Amino acid sequence: MELSRRTLLGGFAAVAGGSLVGCSSGMNTGTTAKKNAATELTMWCWPGGLGKSVLDDTVAHFPDPKIKYSEIGGDFKQKLITTFNGGTSIPDITGLKGEDIASLLPQAERFVDLKTVGADSILGDYLDWKVKQATTLDGKVIGLPIDVGPTALFYREDIFAAAGLPSDPAKVADQLKTWDDYFAAGVQLKAKNPKALLVWDATDLYDMVVGQGTERYISKDNKFIGDQDHIRKAWDTSVKAMTLKIDGKTPSGGPDWNAGLDQGTIPTHIGAAWVALDIKSAVKTSAGKWWLAPTPSGPANFGGSFLAITQNAADPQKAFDVIKYMLSADNEAKAFTDAQIFPSAPAAYDKPQLKAADKFFGGQVPIDVFGPAAKAIPVAYQSPFDDAVAAPFHDELKTVQTGAKTSDAAWSAAVSKAKAIAKRQGVQ
Amino acid sequence: MTATATVSRVTVTAGPVRRRIWSYWRFYLALSPFYVLFAVFGLYPMVSTIVLAFQRWDGLSARKFTGLDNFAFLIQDPTFWTALENTVVLFLMSTVPTLVLALVLAVMLQSAVRFTNVYRIAYFIPNVTSLVAMAIFFSSVFSTNFGLVNAALRSLGIPQQDWLGQPWGIKIAISTMIVWQWVGYNTLIYLAGLQAIPKEQYEAAKVDGAGAVRTFFSITLPQLRPVVLFTVIMSTIGGLQTFTEPQVMVGNSGGTGQSGMTVVLFFYRAAFLDNDYGYAAAIALSIFVLVLLFTAINWRIFRERSEDR
Repeated sequence: MELSRRTLLGGFAAVAGGSLVGCSSGMNTGTTAKKNAATELTMWCWPGGLGKSVLDDTVAHFPDPKIKYSEIGGDFKQKLITTFNGGTSIPDITGLKGEDIASLLPQAERFVDLKTVGADSILGDYLDWKVKQATTLDGKVIGLPIDVGPTALFYREDIFAAAGLPSDPAKVADQLKTWDDYFAAGVQLKAKNPKALLVWDATDLYDMVVGQGTERYISKDNKFIGDQDHIRKAWDTSVKAMTLKIDGKTPSGGPDWNAGLDQGTIPTHIGAAWVALDIKSAVKTSAGKWWLAPTPSGPANFGGSFLAITQNAADPQKAFDVIKYMLSADNEAKAFTDAQIFPSAPAAYDKPQLKAADKFFGGQVPIDVFGPAAKAIPVAYQSPFDDAVAAPFHDELKTVQTGAKTSDAAWSAAVSKAKAIAKRQGVQ
Repeated sequence: MTATATVSRVTVTAGPVRRRIWSYWRFYLALSPFYVLFAVFGLYPMVSTIVLAFQRWDGLSARKFTGLDNFAFLIQDPTFWTALENTVVLFLMSTVPTLVLALVLAVMLQSAVRFTNVYRIAYFIPNVTSLVAMAIFFSSVFSTNFGLVNAALRSLGIPQQDWLGQPWGIKIAISTMIVWQWVGYNTLIYLAGLQAIPKEQYEAAKVDGAGAVRTFFSITLPQLRPVVLFTVIMSTIGGLQTFTEPQVMVGNSGGTGQSGMTVVLFFYRAAFLDNDYGYAAAIALSIFVLVLLFTAINWRIFRERSEDR
């Protein structure tokens, strides 16, 4: 064989490549995670998870190593889990959705404990209850909150006024303090306007009431507490809306709900800050007639995600600098302007972007309602098995709604099903 | 058939076994794409599902062998039995109308004189339309206050129904959608079967003075038996795996009273929402057994009937 420059170079490259591979795999014996290459910093999030201008700014702000952002559509958690199992192409930084965080806490060893890279100094800048959601029982913090979803009462000012109910936000807040007040208003409204059912869907309301509490279905010491008073209270509140016949039975997001918002058959909705986007895109004629008041009996939270650093990150410290920058109060305020991503850092609530009045809400300043709500959300422990155990309660509550079962019969069926699921998951 | 014949003929004359196999490497290479793909995407997942059914796995932690625990929980799980019942009811509610309608349409299409291809394409279009888009469309059609179905009922003076909020309404909506999607496909299969029936038999029937109905039951239907068996088995396999329709129309919970909860939706919920993969694998095996059982029953019924003749 003739020795040319090309074959020689090729041979060198092969030897060099081989030794590099050998080197990197040799270095990692002992640790579970293979480190990513340090040449670029990979970041995963789902569409609309981060503000566009903030993202562009962050990419420009950290040129070395270059940030490679990938938008992952579809079932995000499933794709992340599959990638973890595959063991390659695991991102350095990844978003974690709020509804998945509890089930990912047992996998804390796959993520960097942010306290080890200097998060202690900034954790206090974020809402305490939100940080707790990403904190394991032994104190590791696996994610920095991107956003939160505090709830409020969205109501049709014109329909309230026509039925003789208070329509001014301050007066609504004053009169509809508790669920009982809210239901009483519903009865009064129905008497004047039989088509307008105050509660859009009583089974949806159930989750709101559970979210207002400090305990859920499973306690911190891994015991099933779904059969106790705090859950029964939420159940009874939902059933009360049904028995008062002010339940519209219209699940949010469907075509009936969309049409009902405009037609006045759905005069109120209680939902997280991001529901504003759904309402805005659904209505045509009622823009400007929607107003905001605090949630009766106190705020709950729905959604709100995190940015986490995986154990595979080449340089966890660098990755932390990136997420710290992205989620500063200033940048969170920008992300709110970008895509209505509601800030998780209370300092952002005073920024001009959030202080703006919203014409859709009759010129009201939404942050005046959502800001205090976000700060007042109770801390509740959510077990990794919480969703699985909650499912029978939702299923059985629907049978009460259709009249197929009495409340008591459905409740005992839900409790026994939930207990079986809890037992299977190793809950006592 | 010809390939195996060639191989066996040559093996008699060839030398040592190893060399014999090696000398046919081109044939094995030509066959390999299917087997490699099947091994990776078919065999491996199947075998690992069976293994997984005896384990506990949350998708990330180490797997733990638990013996028959998953199956023991499965037979005690009321949701599983609800799902099983729903699946069978939905299967009957969708397959029977689908096949009857398809047969009627096929006979009509065969006697159609003009635009036969236009009809064929028109009936087949639902089958190639995106399932999710259709499910969204159907959930609008069946929505309570602003749906087409209720608008029609109101114009006839019948009170409107909460279709997707009532256990039976959900089943009707889902099976309507399945019927709509599969009638065209089965019509085309029947049409192909009809065209294979010899014309002489029809002529003989005509000479003997048989009417259209008599001809249909005495000639068309008996001659179509193998085709009907095929469509019944295909519909069984498809019908027992109903998933997208209920998932999009009533959500992961299966809707009111879980009446849209099918076994595959239950499987999806266990695997991808609860991340209980071992349990999901056990459910998957139960679907396999269910399909096997129904196929055996169908096979039995139709084979016995043909032997009776």
